[in-house]
Amino acid sequence: MSTAASTLSDKNRRSAMMAALMGLGMLGMGYAAVPLYEIFCRVTGYGGTTQRTDAATAATVQSTSRVMSIRFDSNVNSALPWTFKPENPVDRVSVGAKDMAIYLATNESTVPVVGTATFNVTPVQAGQYFHKVQCFCFTEQLLKPGETMRMPVLYYVDPAILEDPETRDIEEITLSYTFYRSKDGLAVDAAGGKI
Amino acid sequence: MTTITADGHLDDHAHDADHKPAFFQRWFMSTNHKDIGTLYLIFAIFAGIIGGAISGLMRLELAEPGIQYLQAWASMSNGTEASMDQAYHLWNVLITAHGLIMVFFMVMPAMIGGFGNWFVPLMIGAPDMAFPRMNNVSFWLLVPALLLLLGSSFVPGGTGNGAGTGWTVYAPLSTSGSAGPAVDMAILSLHLAGASSILGAVNFITTIFNMRAPGMTLHKMPLFVWSVLVTAFLLLLALPVLAAAITMLLTDRNFGTAFFDAAGGGDPVLYQHLFWFFGHPEVYIMILPGFGMVSHIVSTFSRKPIFGYLGMAYAMVAIGVVGFVVWAHHMFTTGMSVNVKMYFTAATMVIAVPTGIKIFSWIATMWGGSMTFKTPMMWALGFIFMFTVGGVTGVVLANGGIDDNLHDTYYVVAHFHYVLSLGAVFSIFAGFYYWFPKMSGRMYSELLGQLHFWIFFIGVNILFFPQHFLGQQGMPRRYPDYPDAYAYWNEISSIGYAVMLVGVVIFFVNIIYSMFAGRKAEGNYWGEGATTLEWTLSSPPPFHQFETLPQIK
Amino acid sequence: MTHYVKAWILALGLILTPATLSAQEALPEAPSIEPAAASAVEAADAPAATAAAPSGLDPELYTPMKPTPGIGMPVDGGVDFQQQFSETGKQAHWINNAILVPMMFGVSLIVLGLMLWVVVRFRRSANPEPSKTTHNTFIEIIWTVIPVLILVVIAVPSISLLANQFEPAPEDALTVKITGYQWYWGYNYPDNGDFEIISNMLSEEDADARGEPYQLAADNRMVIPVGKPVKLLITAADVIHSFAVPAAWFKLDAVPGRINEKVMQIDREGVYYGQCSELCGARHGFMPITVEVLSEEKFNDWVRANGGTVKGDEAADEAEAETAANDNTTDIASAEAVAATN
Repeated sequence: MSTAASTLSDKNRRSAMMAALMGLGMLGMGYAAVPLYEIFCRVTGYGGTTQRTDAATAATVQSTSRVMSIRFDSNVNSALPWTFKPENPVDRVSVGAKDMAIYLATNESTVPVVGTATFNVTPVQAGQYFHKVQCFCFTEQLLKPGETMRMPVLYYVDPAILEDPETRDIEEITLSYTFYRSKDGLAVDAAGGKI
Repeated sequence: MTTITADGHLDDHAHDADHKPAFFQRWFMSTNHKDIGTLYLIFAIFAGIIGGAISGLMRLELAEPGIQYLQAWASMSNGTEASMDQAYHLWNVLITAHGLIMVFFMVMPAMIGGFGNWFVPLMIGAPDMAFPRMNNVSFWLLVPALLLLLGSSFVPGGTGNGAGTGWTVYAPLSTSGSAGPAVDMAILSLHLAGASSILGAVNFITTIFNMRAPGMTLHKMPLFVWSVLVTAFLLLLALPVLAAAITMLLTDRNFGTAFFDAAGGGDPVLYQHLFWFFGHPEVYIMILPGFGMVSHIVSTFSRKPIFGYLGMAYAMVAIGVVGFVVWAHHMFTTGMSVNVKMYFTAATMVIAVPTGIKIFSWIATMWGGSMTFKTPMMWALGFIFMFTVGGVTGVVLANGGIDDNLHDTYYVVAHFHYVLSLGAVFSIFAGFYYWFPKMSGRMYSELLGQLHFWIFFIGVNILFFPQHFLGQQGMPRRYPDYPDAYAYWNEISSIGYAVMLVGVVIFFVNIIYSMFAGRKAEGNYWGEGATTLEWTLSSPPPFHQFETLPQIK
Repeated sequence: MTHYVKAWILALGLILTPATLSAQEALPEAPSIEPAAASAVEAADAPAATAAAPSGLDPELYTPMKPTPGIGMPVDGGVDFQQQFSETGKQAHWINNAILVPMMFGVSLIVLGLMLWVVVRFRRSANPEPSKTTHNTFIEIIWTVIPVLILVVIAVPSISLLANQFEPAPEDALTVKITGYQWYWGYNYPDNGDFEIISNMLSEEDADARGEPYQLAADNRMVIPVGKPVKLLITAADVIHSFAVPAAWFKLDAVPGRINEKVMQIDREGVYYGQCSELCGARHGFMPITVEVLSEEKFNDWVRANGGTVKGDEAADEAEAETAANDNTTDIASAEAVAATN
């Protein structure tokens, strides 16, 4: 009887451990979802996440005859005392050709402020074909009072966009940036803007 | 399904089987699954009264256009004259509290904690749960959880007092959009409730896998036990993800992280993915045990074994599995690409198939039966039809293209109240009437039971059916006020609430009547249709049952 | 068991009677598009001095149009969807009313019918000896396969609807940038000089004075041209909002930190209302959306009245020429150098 009971309680403990491990595993998965989601977005362009490409790879891309319109959109969070606008709201570029767009940011306040930007493209399915060779996204930008900075974005649209039935009819891609006051940059702001 | 011979229960008292501990020890330090089940049921009724009262306040305010009461209520809760914005905020607090209370503190404790604790060990012929003390911890975690949630209504939460984020707690409204400790308290409340459920799930899984009576294979296990097993796995896989998500909310709010904050490179939509990865299985968590109970009731009152037992069991497993890969249909309007939307449309519709199997199997169980229409059966029949109605509107909402108009309208409110308020709640009432005499030893009043059913049934239909119309007309949910054009159906809907309320009052009268004047219940008061193991025991069962394990042939 | 049947009928009757009544009332109010458009144009042409003043715009160029009762807004006691004025909206509405509603009624009535049949036929007094049948493979296959077929029938038009809804906007489509704020909407017109319209809810008195429905009417409207795809770029400044226009079968979330895009096309001039559709805090219920759809010509006038530029106007042409000249890929190298210093 006692052996039977102890076998059962051993068995129970084992089952409970297994179940608890499953729960812990899912808890881990919950946290892992954050980097996984980022990777997933980057790989699939989900939610209009753009691709990052180095200049060497970009140099191999061939320009095509199909011209697409690229619209540049800008937003500034109310906590950031900047103006931020594209120099030209719309560019027309050949698919595959590298192009440079300039955004202009001005610090309208009397103190140095650090900003950082998020971005995506629409239609969202174009994300996997929109390559940025170089941009200011997520690098912290310091602007002194009254300073204006030209922020360049070097990009191209992958010609593969013309082969995907989901994207080949797209005539205009919108690239949107939203500038926020940098969270980490608050200390820099206070320190008088020395990075 | 199974034939059962049980012996030894009649002379249980010879082994001190009915020796009960003293009051404090029995109810506060309980390790007895039946006592803990009773505690859960009392808790669920208590929470149900609060959640139901909140919905009463909401239907009162919505009965006619304009803000009639909110400002006065907000002033009462503030202690000072409340502004209009604080009144509106109170509305958001009410909808949030109603949702959270009904989901986490009413339906789940009643179904899993209450009926699950009571009847899973009885049905598998086990003396108790695998971890009786952990069982007690599970229950007592719920009490502070509810207190935290209720307490959050009295501390600042942004515009006014309380957490006004909706039960979904979407970032960034719940982070940068709600200053003050209310949302933190609500999140901690969810943590505790989640921990309670996860412990419960571990306990049920262990109990069901290891403590079945000799001879009871998984394929002979009663369907209610199957349903609790699937539910326990859903809890175990879904709740930790919620816990992770709301912990990230908490650190975003208080410790400067930016998981869901675009300013720091996070994505608010990620929160929605995490929430609904939990949230969709959660709706099955709330309905699966109901499926199990309805199966037994239909079988009992048709005096016929369940039709297609294996199909029924595996349909639940299928629903559980598919339930994990359809979550983004709650997010059709967040801006998805067409392929993602098509996938989630198709995957969501697939769930209709196992659900259909269940509906038709219940009807087939009744087919050829010899049916009686006692109160539990009425609730079960009501459940089957109302759940079908809620199910077909679910198929409509599954279409990503159609959902563009219906998303976040009253159509959605009507849909999920048909599957939950008329689905889950009907099955809870069905189970309650089915087993109340088993649990208490007293028969309920059949007349009051029937009256309760019919009035409640008519009430909730008047209450929720017009909300489909409001939704199709475009009325968004979570609105304290509305344009005059929506007045007609809102008034009808509020009248429905009043009718339903009468039904609920009859329910409580019935409980009180049965406690004091109810006829004594026999061991198997439903007769030959009731074949599971709990009917081999006395009503109420002895404090300790199955000291000699029953043999299942 | 007759009381059982009666009560079902009674309950259904209770629910459906007012529905059919109001459906009948609503029907004559839903004319074909032509007369409705005509009346809308009349309303716009009529001198609306009280309405023009609050818009603050030159009344020679723009006077807010009066809404047509029952169009672009909910109707009293209405049960169906709002009348649709976009291609995809009409398709979606058709799918709902021609496929989904019959499916819902069909399935529900079959289940109800079967239940009533077993209740009557297999009640204890009619069938004292229950059968012991627990399996019938054939019937189980049937009730698995038939729902699958029904779902396939639904999925085909549903997928085609989705594909149509995602048809991208042509390059020359008007772009309107919509920003959700706590608790109002902002509309930018980047192709027309990037002027911004701030749109707040009208108070009850103002709405009454303008003859518009309270809680749906906004002081300044989003104006778009009729019958052409308009590209809406939607974002939010603080928390998530959702931009919805039921009469165009349109809803898209405004998420802070990212832009969403969807095409809206409304084929009839008129005023269309919507409401914020994602919980966004205290005044979530009080940040309505008012869309005014005008002919191309009147739309251009409206743009001019707001100080914006219209494509084809001289000034705009010059600006565009300049843009084109500046747009030169040769300065990439120099800009790269700029980037490197950051």
